[in-house]
Amino acid sequence: MDITYPVGLLVVAIALIIGFTAIVLERDDLHRILLTDLAEILALVLIALVATDLAEALILPGLVVGISELMAVSEVYITREGLRAPPAEPAFHIEVMDSAPGILALILVGYGIILSGFTGGVVAAVGTVFYFMCRGHDERFELIETVSGYAWAIWIGAFFIFMFLPQYWFFAVMMAGGAILLKVMAKMSLVGTMRGGPDV
Amino acid sequence: MFNLPTTNIGGPELFVLEFGDIVIYFSPYTAALFLFALIFTALAIVSRPEQQVDITFGGDAYYAKEVDLNSLQFQRFMAIACGLATLGAMVTGDVFNFTLFASMVGITNIGIVAAYRNRHVLNAAFQYGIVAMLASVPLFGGAAIILANTGTLSMWELFTDALVVPIIAKAFLVIGIMGEGMAPFYVAKAEITRAQGAPFILMIHVSSLLLFLRVIEIVLSM
Repeated sequence: MDITYPVGLLVVAIALIIGFTAIVLERDDLHRILLTDLAEILALVLIALVATDLAEALILPGLVVGISELMAVSEVYITREGLRAPPAEPAFHIEVMDSAPGILALILVGYGIILSGFTGGVVAAVGTVFYFMCRGHDERFELIETVSGYAWAIWIGAFFIFMFLPQYWFFAVMMAGGAILLKVMAKMSLVGTMRGGPDV
Repeated sequence: MFNLPTTNIGGPELFVLEFGDIVIYFSPYTAALFLFALIFTALAIVSRPEQQVDITFGGDAYYAKEVDLNSLQFQRFMAIACGLATLGAMVTGDVFNFTLFASMVGITNIGIVAAYRNRHVLNAAFQYGIVAMLASVPLFGGAAIILANTGTLSMWELFTDALVVPIIAKAFLVIGIMGEGMAPFYVAKAEITRAQGAPFILMIHVSSLLLFLRVIEIVLSM
Protein backbone atom coordinates (compact mmCIF):
# COMPACT_ATOMS: atom_id res chain seq x y z
CA MET A 1 0.00 0.00 0.00
CA ASP A 2 2.68 2.51 0.99
CA ILE A 3 4.46 2.22 -2.37
CA THR A 4 1.31 1.66 -4.47
CA TYR A 5 -0.31 5.00 -3.68
CA PRO A 6 2.59 7.31 -4.67
CA VAL A 7 3.22 5.25 -7.82
CA GLY A 8 -0.47 5.47 -8.68
CA LEU A 9 -0.43 9.22 -8.09
CA LEU A 10 2.56 9.53 -10.39
CA VAL A 11 0.80 7.57 -13.14
CA VAL A 12 -2.30 9.76 -12.76
CA ALA A 13 -0.15 12.91 -12.90
CA ILE A 14 1.51 11.75 -16.13
CA ALA A 15 -1.87 10.81 -17.60
CA LEU A 16 -3.27 14.21 -16.62
CA ILE A 17 -0.39 16.03 -18.31
CA ILE A 18 -0.91 14.00 -21.49
CA GLY A 19 -4.69 14.47 -21.39
CA PHE A 20 -4.65 18.21 -20.69
CA THR A 21 -2.02 18.78 -23.38
CA ALA A 22 -4.21 16.91 -25.83
CA ILE A 23 -7.23 19.08 -24.91
CA VAL A 24 -5.21 22.26 -25.35
CA LEU A 25 -3.93 21.13 -28.77
CA GLU A 26 -7.22 19.70 -30.02
CA ARG A 27 -9.32 22.02 -32.20
CA ASP A 28 -12.31 19.82 -33.03
CA ASP A 29 -15.10 20.31 -30.48
CA LEU A 30 -16.43 16.77 -30.62
CA HIS A 31 -12.98 15.39 -29.92
CA ARG A 32 -12.61 17.84 -27.06
CA ILE A 33 -15.75 16.45 -25.43
CA LEU A 34 -14.33 12.94 -25.69
CA LEU A 35 -10.94 14.01 -24.30
CA THR A 36 -12.67 15.84 -21.44
CA ASP A 37 -14.51 12.66 -20.56
CA LEU A 38 -11.19 10.82 -20.50
CA ALA A 39 -9.76 13.46 -18.15
CA GLU A 40 -12.80 13.10 -15.92
CA ILE A 41 -12.14 9.37 -15.60
CA LEU A 42 -8.77 10.31 -14.12
CA ALA A 43 -10.64 12.06 -11.30
CA LEU A 44 -12.34 8.74 -10.58
CA VAL A 45 -8.93 7.03 -10.68
CA LEU A 46 -7.73 9.51 -8.04
CA ILE A 47 -10.63 8.49 -5.81
CA ALA A 48 -10.13 4.80 -6.57
CA LEU A 49 -6.46 5.02 -5.52
CA VAL A 50 -7.58 5.53 -1.92
CA ALA A 51 -8.81 1.92 -2.10
CA THR A 52 -11.16 1.81 0.87
CA ASP A 53 -14.87 1.02 1.13
CA LEU A 54 -15.58 4.73 1.46
CA ALA A 55 -13.68 5.47 -1.77
CA GLU A 56 -15.71 2.78 -3.49
CA ALA A 57 -18.89 4.47 -2.33
CA LEU A 58 -17.62 7.85 -3.56
CA ILE A 59 -16.88 6.65 -7.09
CA LEU A 60 -20.58 6.17 -7.88
CA PRO A 61 -21.71 9.79 -7.23
CA GLY A 62 -18.53 11.03 -8.93
CA LEU A 63 -19.34 8.96 -11.98
CA VAL A 64 -22.98 10.08 -12.03
CA VAL A 65 -22.01 13.75 -11.83
CA GLY A 66 -19.42 13.26 -14.56
CA ILE A 67 -21.89 11.55 -16.87
CA SER A 68 -24.55 14.19 -16.33
CA GLU A 69 -22.03 16.94 -17.10
CA LEU A 70 -21.03 15.05 -20.22
CA MET A 71 -24.68 14.70 -21.25
CA ALA A 72 -25.38 18.40 -20.66
CA VAL A 73 -22.37 19.47 -22.72
CA SER A 74 -23.23 16.98 -25.47
CA GLU A 75 -26.79 18.32 -25.55
CA VAL A 76 -25.46 21.87 -25.92
CA TYR A 77 -23.16 20.64 -28.70
CA ILE A 78 -26.03 18.93 -30.55
CA THR A 79 -28.24 22.03 -30.27
CA ARG A 80 -25.43 24.34 -31.35
CA GLU A 81 -24.53 22.27 -34.39
CA GLY A 82 -28.20 21.70 -35.22
CA LEU A 83 -27.64 17.96 -35.53
CA ARG A 84 -30.62 15.72 -36.26
CA ALA A 85 -30.71 11.94 -36.43
CA PRO A 86 -31.62 10.72 -39.91
CA PRO A 87 -34.90 8.76 -40.00
CA ALA A 88 -33.97 5.09 -39.90
CA GLU A 89 -35.89 1.96 -40.78
CA PRO A 90 -35.80 -0.88 -38.22
CA ALA A 91 -32.79 -3.10 -38.91
CA PHE A 92 -34.88 -6.22 -39.38
CA HIS A 93 -38.41 -7.38 -38.87
CA ILE A 94 -39.57 -10.96 -38.46
CA GLU A 95 -42.91 -12.39 -37.50
CA VAL A 96 -41.91 -13.49 -34.01
CA MET A 97 -41.32 -9.84 -33.16
CA ASP A 98 -45.07 -9.27 -33.48
CA SER A 99 -46.21 -12.22 -31.40
CA ALA A 100 -43.57 -12.70 -28.72
CA PRO A 101 -42.97 -9.30 -27.01
CA GLY A 102 -46.07 -9.24 -24.84
CA ILE A 103 -45.68 -12.61 -23.18
CA LEU A 104 -41.86 -12.56 -22.98
CA ALA A 105 -41.78 -9.08 -21.50
CA LEU A 106 -44.43 -10.10 -18.98
CA ILE A 107 -42.43 -13.15 -17.90
CA LEU A 108 -39.15 -11.22 -17.63
CA VAL A 109 -40.69 -8.30 -15.75
CA GLY A 110 -42.54 -10.70 -13.44
CA TYR A 111 -39.37 -12.65 -12.71
CA GLY A 112 -37.50 -9.40 -12.16
CA ILE A 113 -40.05 -8.30 -9.57
CA ILE A 114 -39.55 -11.60 -7.73
CA LEU A 115 -35.77 -11.15 -7.78
CA SER A 116 -36.00 -7.41 -6.80
CA GLY A 117 -33.01 -5.14 -6.25
CA PHE A 118 -30.30 -4.55 -8.87
CA THR A 119 -30.53 -8.03 -10.43
CA GLY A 120 -34.30 -7.84 -10.67
CA GLY A 121 -34.06 -4.42 -12.26
CA VAL A 122 -31.70 -5.73 -14.94
CA VAL A 123 -33.91 -8.75 -15.71
CA ALA A 124 -37.05 -6.61 -15.87
CA ALA A 125 -35.20 -4.09 -18.04
CA VAL A 126 -34.32 -6.81 -20.54
CA GLY A 127 -38.05 -7.47 -20.79
CA THR A 128 -38.96 -3.83 -21.41
CA VAL A 129 -36.07 -3.29 -23.83
CA PHE A 130 -37.20 -6.34 -25.79
CA TYR A 131 -40.74 -4.99 -25.83
CA PHE A 132 -39.71 -1.54 -27.01
CA MET A 133 -37.30 -3.04 -29.55
CA CYS A 134 -40.10 -5.01 -31.19
CA ARG A 135 -43.00 -2.60 -30.81
CA GLY A 136 -41.27 0.73 -31.20
CA HIS A 137 -40.67 3.18 -28.39
CA ASP A 138 -42.42 6.44 -29.14
CA GLU A 139 -44.35 8.37 -26.51
CA ARG A 140 -43.63 6.02 -23.63
CA PHE A 141 -40.64 7.68 -22.06
CA GLU A 142 -42.54 10.35 -20.18
CA LEU A 143 -44.15 7.58 -18.14
CA ILE A 144 -40.88 5.76 -17.49
CA GLU A 145 -39.15 8.97 -16.45
CA THR A 146 -42.00 9.78 -14.06
CA VAL A 147 -41.85 6.30 -12.52
CA SER A 148 -38.08 6.62 -12.18
CA GLY A 149 -38.49 9.93 -10.37
CA TYR A 150 -40.97 8.51 -7.90
CA ALA A 151 -38.73 5.47 -7.38
CA TRP A 152 -35.86 7.78 -6.49
CA ALA A 153 -38.03 9.58 -3.94
CA ILE A 154 -39.09 6.25 -2.39
CA TRP A 155 -35.45 5.17 -2.25
CA ILE A 156 -34.46 8.34 -0.40
CA GLY A 157 -37.49 7.90 1.88
CA ALA A 158 -36.22 4.41 2.76
CA PHE A 159 -32.89 5.94 3.79
CA PHE A 160 -34.66 8.39 6.06
CA ILE A 161 -36.40 5.44 7.73
CA PHE A 162 -33.01 3.76 8.24
CA MET A 163 -31.73 6.93 9.86
CA PHE A 164 -34.62 8.10 12.00
CA LEU A 165 -36.75 4.97 12.62
CA PRO A 166 -34.25 2.11 12.56
CA GLN A 167 -36.72 -0.29 14.21
CA TYR A 168 -38.71 -0.37 10.95
CA TRP A 169 -35.66 -1.48 8.95
CA PHE A 170 -37.46 -4.35 7.21
CA PHE A 171 -40.08 -2.03 5.74
CA ALA A 172 -37.30 0.29 4.57
CA VAL A 173 -35.41 -2.61 2.96
CA MET A 174 -38.54 -3.55 1.02
CA MET A 175 -39.09 0.05 -0.04
CA ALA A 176 -35.47 0.46 -1.16
CA GLY A 177 -35.48 -2.90 -2.95
CA GLY A 178 -38.65 -2.11 -4.88
CA ALA A 179 -37.49 1.39 -5.73
CA ILE A 180 -34.08 0.28 -6.95
CA LEU A 181 -35.82 -2.33 -9.10
CA LEU A 182 -37.89 0.40 -10.76
CA LYS A 183 -34.92 2.74 -11.12
CA VAL A 184 -32.54 0.21 -12.65
CA MET A 185 -35.32 -0.99 -14.95
CA ALA A 186 -36.13 2.53 -16.10
CA LYS A 187 -32.48 3.42 -16.66
CA MET A 188 -31.67 0.26 -18.56
CA SER A 189 -34.76 0.70 -20.74
CA LEU A 190 -33.73 4.24 -21.56
CA VAL A 191 -30.16 3.24 -22.33
CA GLY A 192 -31.29 0.20 -24.28
CA THR A 193 -33.56 2.17 -26.57
CA MET A 194 -31.37 5.24 -27.05
CA ARG A 195 -31.22 5.47 -30.80
CA GLY A 196 -32.20 9.08 -31.17
CA GLY A 197 -35.94 8.63 -31.56
CA PRO A 198 -38.25 11.64 -31.35
CA ASP A 199 -39.00 11.26 -27.64
CA VAL A 200 -35.67 10.03 -26.34
CA MET B 1 -18.64 16.26 19.75
CA PHE B 2 -20.71 19.17 18.58
CA ASN B 3 -18.41 22.08 19.21
CA LEU B 4 -17.04 23.50 16.04
CA PRO B 5 -13.23 23.23 16.45
CA THR B 6 -12.38 26.48 14.70
CA THR B 7 -14.61 29.35 15.75
CA ASN B 8 -12.39 32.22 14.67
CA ILE B 9 -13.36 31.97 10.99
CA GLY B 10 -16.97 30.93 10.75
CA GLY B 11 -17.93 31.88 14.29
CA PRO B 12 -19.58 29.56 16.85
CA GLU B 13 -22.02 26.99 15.53
CA LEU B 14 -25.69 27.89 15.68
CA PHE B 15 -27.40 24.67 14.67
CA VAL B 16 -26.28 21.12 13.92
CA LEU B 17 -28.10 18.37 12.05
CA GLU B 18 -26.56 14.93 12.19
CA PHE B 19 -26.94 12.31 9.44
CA GLY B 20 -24.65 9.53 10.62
CA ASP B 21 -21.14 10.95 10.28
CA ILE B 22 -22.29 13.63 7.84
CA VAL B 23 -23.00 16.60 10.06
CA ILE B 24 -24.72 19.64 8.57
CA TYR B 25 -23.97 22.81 10.50
CA PHE B 26 -24.74 26.49 10.52
CA SER B 27 -22.24 29.05 11.78
CA PRO B 28 -22.91 32.79 11.48
CA TYR B 29 -20.81 32.78 8.29
CA THR B 30 -22.47 29.83 6.55
CA ALA B 31 -25.90 30.89 7.83
CA ALA B 32 -25.44 34.27 6.15
CA LEU B 33 -24.43 32.59 2.89
CA PHE B 34 -27.35 30.18 3.23
CA LEU B 35 -29.78 33.05 3.74
CA PHE B 36 -28.40 34.84 0.70
CA ALA B 37 -28.81 31.73 -1.48
CA LEU B 38 -32.30 31.20 -0.05
CA ILE B 39 -33.38 34.74 -0.98
CA PHE B 40 -32.15 34.32 -4.55
CA THR B 41 -33.82 30.92 -4.87
CA ALA B 42 -37.07 32.48 -3.69
CA LEU B 43 -36.61 35.27 -6.25
CA ALA B 44 -36.11 32.65 -8.98
CA ILE B 45 -39.32 30.93 -7.88
CA VAL B 46 -41.55 34.01 -7.87
CA SER B 47 -40.12 36.26 -10.56
CA ARG B 48 -40.92 36.55 -14.23
CA PRO B 49 -38.12 36.88 -16.79
CA GLU B 50 -37.08 40.24 -18.13
CA GLN B 51 -38.06 41.21 -21.65
CA GLN B 52 -34.93 42.11 -23.57
CA VAL B 53 -35.06 44.69 -26.33
CA ASP B 54 -32.36 45.01 -28.96
CA ILE B 55 -31.99 48.34 -30.72
CA THR B 56 -30.49 48.31 -34.19
CA PHE B 57 -27.53 50.58 -34.52
CA GLY B 58 -28.08 53.75 -36.51
CA GLY B 59 -31.84 53.51 -36.81
CA ASP B 60 -35.12 53.65 -34.93
CA ALA B 61 -35.91 49.96 -35.30
CA TYR B 62 -35.82 47.62 -32.34
CA TYR B 63 -36.91 44.10 -31.73
CA ALA B 64 -38.06 42.44 -28.50
CA LYS B 65 -36.90 38.99 -27.52
CA GLU B 66 -39.78 36.84 -26.35
CA VAL B 67 -39.30 34.04 -23.82
CA ASP B 68 -41.70 31.22 -24.66
CA LEU B 69 -43.37 29.24 -21.90
CA ASN B 70 -41.44 26.00 -22.39
CA SER B 71 -38.01 27.52 -22.12
CA LEU B 72 -39.22 29.72 -19.27
CA GLN B 73 -40.33 26.66 -17.30
CA PHE B 74 -37.12 24.78 -18.00
CA GLN B 75 -34.97 27.76 -17.14
CA ARG B 76 -36.84 28.40 -13.92
CA PHE B 77 -36.57 24.75 -12.93
CA MET B 78 -32.82 24.80 -13.56
CA ALA B 79 -32.42 28.05 -11.63
CA ILE B 80 -34.25 26.56 -8.64
CA ALA B 81 -32.16 23.38 -8.86
CA CYS B 82 -29.07 25.59 -8.95
CA GLY B 83 -30.32 27.40 -5.85
CA LEU B 84 -30.93 24.13 -4.02
CA ALA B 85 -27.45 22.84 -4.90
CA THR B 86 -25.98 26.11 -3.64
CA LEU B 87 -27.98 25.82 -0.41
CA GLY B 88 -26.58 22.32 0.06
CA ALA B 89 -23.02 23.42 -0.59
CA MET B 90 -23.36 26.24 1.95
CA VAL B 91 -24.27 24.06 4.93
CA THR B 92 -22.77 20.62 4.29
CA GLY B 93 -20.19 19.33 6.74
CA ASP B 94 -18.57 16.84 4.39
CA VAL B 95 -15.87 17.72 1.87
CA PHE B 96 -16.97 15.24 -0.77
CA ASN B 97 -20.60 16.35 -0.55
CA PHE B 98 -19.36 19.89 -1.03
CA THR B 99 -17.54 18.91 -4.24
CA LEU B 100 -20.64 17.07 -5.49
CA PHE B 101 -22.85 20.11 -4.84
CA ALA B 102 -20.28 22.30 -6.62
CA SER B 103 -20.36 20.03 -9.68
CA MET B 104 -24.14 20.08 -9.62
CA VAL B 105 -24.07 23.88 -9.65
CA GLY B 106 -21.89 23.62 -12.75
CA ILE B 107 -24.37 21.30 -14.48
CA THR B 108 -27.39 23.45 -13.66
CA ASN B 109 -25.53 26.56 -14.84
CA ILE B 110 -25.20 24.94 -18.27
CA GLY B 111 -28.85 23.88 -18.07
CA ILE B 112 -30.07 27.44 -17.40
CA VAL B 113 -28.79 28.68 -20.76
CA ALA B 114 -28.95 25.43 -22.77
CA ALA B 115 -32.52 26.06 -23.92
CA TYR B 116 -31.52 29.04 -26.06
CA ARG B 117 -30.97 28.82 -29.78
CA ASN B 118 -28.56 31.75 -29.84
CA ARG B 119 -25.29 30.48 -31.27
CA HIS B 120 -23.08 32.75 -29.18
CA VAL B 121 -24.79 31.71 -25.97
CA LEU B 122 -24.57 28.02 -26.85
CA ASN B 123 -20.93 28.40 -27.79
CA ALA B 124 -20.17 30.06 -24.46
CA ALA B 125 -22.16 27.39 -22.60
CA PHE B 126 -20.21 24.70 -24.44
CA GLN B 127 -16.81 26.18 -23.59
CA TYR B 128 -17.91 26.74 -20.01
CA GLY B 129 -19.11 23.12 -19.83
CA ILE B 130 -15.71 21.86 -20.98
CA VAL B 131 -13.97 23.97 -18.32
CA ALA B 132 -16.43 22.86 -15.63
CA MET B 133 -15.85 19.21 -16.53
CA LEU B 134 -12.09 19.64 -16.44
CA ALA B 135 -12.45 21.42 -13.09
CA SER B 136 -14.04 18.32 -11.59
CA VAL B 137 -10.63 16.61 -11.86
CA PRO B 138 -8.92 18.86 -9.25
CA LEU B 139 -12.19 19.10 -7.32
CA PHE B 140 -12.65 15.36 -6.80
CA GLY B 141 -8.87 14.89 -6.77
CA GLY B 142 -8.57 17.32 -3.85
CA ALA B 143 -11.27 15.48 -1.88
CA ALA B 144 -9.61 12.12 -2.67
CA ILE B 145 -6.17 13.34 -1.53
CA ILE B 146 -7.72 14.65 1.70
CA LEU B 147 -9.32 11.25 2.26
CA ALA B 148 -6.08 9.39 1.51
CA ASN B 149 -3.99 11.55 3.84
CA THR B 150 -6.33 11.99 6.79
CA GLY B 151 -8.72 9.05 6.51
CA THR B 152 -11.80 11.23 6.85
CA LEU B 153 -13.88 13.69 4.88
CA SER B 154 -15.83 15.11 7.81
CA MET B 155 -15.12 18.81 8.31
CA TRP B 156 -15.65 18.33 12.06
CA GLU B 157 -12.49 16.24 12.20
CA LEU B 158 -10.56 18.05 9.47
CA PHE B 159 -10.97 21.40 11.24
CA THR B 160 -9.14 20.15 14.35
CA ASP B 161 -5.39 20.61 14.81
CA ALA B 162 -4.82 16.86 15.01
CA LEU B 163 -5.18 16.35 11.25
CA VAL B 164 -2.94 18.13 8.76
CA VAL B 165 -4.39 18.54 5.28
CA PRO B 166 -1.70 18.75 2.56
CA ILE B 167 -1.45 22.11 0.83
CA ILE B 168 -1.84 20.48 -2.60
CA ALA B 169 -5.30 19.18 -1.64
CA LYS B 170 -6.37 22.66 -0.53
CA ALA B 171 -5.03 24.13 -3.77
CA PHE B 172 -6.90 21.49 -5.78
CA LEU B 173 -10.17 22.33 -4.02
CA VAL B 174 -9.79 26.05 -4.71
CA ILE B 175 -8.78 25.48 -8.36
CA GLY B 176 -11.74 23.15 -8.81
CA ILE B 177 -14.20 25.73 -7.48
CA MET B 178 -12.58 28.43 -9.61
CA GLY B 179 -13.09 26.23 -12.66
CA GLU B 180 -16.81 26.02 -11.86
CA GLY B 181 -17.08 29.71 -12.65
CA MET B 182 -14.67 32.04 -10.87
CA ALA B 183 -12.17 34.58 -12.02
CA PRO B 184 -9.68 33.43 -14.66
CA PHE B 185 -12.03 30.80 -16.05
CA TYR B 186 -14.93 33.22 -15.89
CA VAL B 187 -14.18 34.45 -19.42
CA ALA B 188 -15.81 31.28 -20.73
CA LYS B 189 -19.07 32.43 -19.16
CA ALA B 190 -19.07 36.06 -20.25
CA GLU B 191 -21.11 35.53 -23.41
CA ILE B 192 -23.72 33.58 -21.43
CA THR B 193 -25.20 36.83 -20.14
CA ARG B 194 -26.50 37.53 -23.66
CA ALA B 195 -29.23 35.00 -22.93
CA GLN B 196 -32.47 36.63 -21.88
CA GLY B 197 -34.23 35.90 -18.60
CA ALA B 198 -32.48 38.05 -16.02
CA PRO B 199 -33.32 36.59 -12.60
CA PHE B 200 -32.46 33.08 -13.75
CA ILE B 201 -29.23 34.08 -15.43
CA LEU B 202 -28.24 35.93 -12.24
CA MET B 203 -28.39 32.62 -10.39
CA ILE B 204 -25.28 31.55 -12.33
CA HIS B 205 -23.24 34.37 -10.85
CA VAL B 206 -24.70 34.20 -7.36
CA SER B 207 -24.04 30.47 -7.05
CA SER B 208 -20.41 30.79 -8.19
CA LEU B 209 -19.77 33.66 -5.81
CA LEU B 210 -21.28 31.84 -2.82
CA LEU B 211 -19.36 28.65 -3.65
CA PHE B 212 -16.11 30.57 -3.67
CA LEU B 213 -16.84 32.24 -0.32
CA ARG B 214 -17.61 28.85 1.16
CA VAL B 215 -14.52 27.08 -0.19
CA ILE B 216 -12.34 29.85 1.25
CA GLU B 217 -13.88 29.22 4.67
CA ILE B 218 -13.27 25.47 4.35
CA VAL B 219 -9.68 25.84 3.18
CA LEU B 220 -8.82 28.36 5.90
CA SER B 221 -10.37 26.23 8.62
CA MET B 222 -8.56 23.04 7.59
